[in-house]
Amino acid sequence: MKTKRRNGLSLLSIMPLYLFTIVFVAGPLIYLLVLSFLTRAEVWGVVNKFTLDNYRNILDPIYLKTFAESFKLAILSTSLVVLIGYPFGYFMAKLSAAWKRYMMLLIMIPFWISSLIRLYGWIIIFRANGTLDGILMGIGITSAPLKLLYTYPAVVVGMVYALVPFMIFAVYSSAEKLDWSMVEAARDLGATRWKAFTTVSLKMTLPGLLSGIVLTFIPSMGLFFIADLLGGNKIVLVGNLIQEQLMKAHNWPFAAALSVVLMVLTSLMIFLYRRITNVKELEGLI
Amino acid sequence: MKKIFTILLCLTLCLGLIAGCASKPQTSGGTLNLFTWEGMFPSQVLKGFTAETGIAINYNNFDYDETMLAKLQAAKGGDYDLIIADDYIIETVISEGLAQKLDRSKLTNYSNINPFYQDQFFDPSNAYTVPYGAGVQTIVYDPAFVDIEINGYADLFDPSLEDNIGIIANYRVITGLALKILGESYNTEDVDTIEAAGKKLLELAPNIRVIKDDNLQDDLVSGEIAAAVMYTSQVTTAKLARPDLKVVFPSEGIGFGIMASFIPSKAPNADAAYTFLDYILRPEIAAECFEWIGYYSTNSAADSLISKEYRDFLTLPSDFSGDTEMIQVIGADAEDAHSKAWTAFKSASGK
Repeated sequence: MKTKRRNGLSLLSIMPLYLFTIVFVAGPLIYLLVLSFLTRAEVWGVVNKFTLDNYRNILDPIYLKTFAESFKLAILSTSLVVLIGYPFGYFMAKLSAAWKRYMMLLIMIPFWISSLIRLYGWIIIFRANGTLDGILMGIGITSAPLKLLYTYPAVVVGMVYALVPFMIFAVYSSAEKLDWSMVEAARDLGATRWKAFTTVSLKMTLPGLLSGIVLTFIPSMGLFFIADLLGGNKIVLVGNLIQEQLMKAHNWPFAAALSVVLMVLTSLMIFLYRRITNVKELEGLI
Repeated sequence: MKKIFTILLCLTLCLGLIAGCASKPQTSGGTLNLFTWEGMFPSQVLKGFTAETGIAINYNNFDYDETMLAKLQAAKGGDYDLIIADDYIIETVISEGLAQKLDRSKLTNYSNINPFYQDQFFDPSNAYTVPYGAGVQTIVYDPAFVDIEINGYADLFDPSLEDNIGIIANYRVITGLALKILGESYNTEDVDTIEAAGKKLLELAPNIRVIKDDNLQDDLVSGEIAAAVMYTSQVTTAKLARPDLKVVFPSEGIGFGIMASFIPSKAPNADAAYTFLDYILRPEIAAECFEWIGYYSTNSAADSLISKEYRDFLTLPSDFSGDTEMIQVIGADAEDAHSKAWTAFKSASGK
């Protein structure tokens, strides 16, 4: 009797979650999938006529290239985020409690400002005769304004800047739980610092690192506005293409097909990734 | 830590909900639900209207014409009393039956409209719309950094301009530029011709430094780029900041566009819309508006009231004889060919 009542209660408390998932996650996904098989109307909207043309259209080399471009940028940004974010998160976990709080605050504060506005900050730094140019010319390294804005490196800087906190927090939460006495034990048993790190610390923070990579890689496949603003619209990512097909070309079914393929590819990447690394649990994610 | 994240996440979600509720159009009697881009009227004009008529203005804005049409369609022509948008989308709005015919007897200042901007393709008999600002696409360049004389679109292909040109992100305008060089119409529906234009456009790619719609003039003013293809309002801002910039009406032909206002078919307060339209058609109010938006004045009575500083930029030159053409909606196959050419061009510009 007692257990039954508890079941009813827990079902009641879980219901909103299920409802939310069905209405706001499954619903749109199904809509997207159906839309991707329909035909565009001549001017505006869609016609209820089944077609595979939208998917066939993706195979056009011009559009395939945008997928390659997206993967290239995502892999490059994720690698850099790992290089910067992992040591940061790892050493942050070693700080005293007070310093941990300060660091946390320092990383969180920029999040209170819209990411778009923060990107405009980068534009001010990078633009001709901007902050960076001013410093470089001031100390005599360059004599004329450099062309920094609207370049590929500018986009990469923007991506890394936007994504690095996700890596730091994921690694940090994993490293914080690390039992340092295990590292000490390894050292006592004669392991070098490096050996102790690779066999103990790295292994035990791997779930954090991996969830950090997932948290970085997936958004970096979709963060198209950074390429827009800092890259001057010259790097065409799948995200840019979807937005343009939807908002300007009025080809909603094609935009839907692109989104479906992007989602499938991203899921496949995560699946492969978990297979290769053989990690069952991603810290804080699944 | 997780708790903090959870709380933050919940807060963000709630904020989203609140914001969503706040922007819902109101339908009370004394309110005008205006729907247009951000910043289309100076605040003193909006305040002046409310002070004079007692009608409050509920200003809703959209980013793209397409967003407007999608929302208007979802509202089945209701929710909004007055919408200002671009010519081509209004053609679709009218054909979808989402606009209502104007009762001109309610607009005492209707005769102020400059007939040059009337009888256009999107509303041939002026039954639905009142023009607001108009504009053309022009080339603007900084003679200090450009060695050649630019007269038309073909000059932008000059190798001396490598990595030095900024263009607006409207692909009908930009692939259209190549169509114009080939002597074709902006609105050709022949896929082979559009593909040929796309191929021609690829030659321009090495010269492109930035492609964007918002504030392109800033890059020209700051010296990031030496030449640009842009809209009239951007030209106005650029010229006011840097009078030494040169403005060129391209010799191959000029793209022309009009923003116009219409009343949706089921506007909850159409009377307020008429009152507002008549108010902004007054010469002195119109002059203030055109100075604010920086587009060509479509109000003949307002032309002489526009301050001297602005007048040259906001009225078409009296000797204007350019070959203008408006960009219209084209068929799906032609549209797809355009967007394919545009994607290839953008990717090539990044190389």
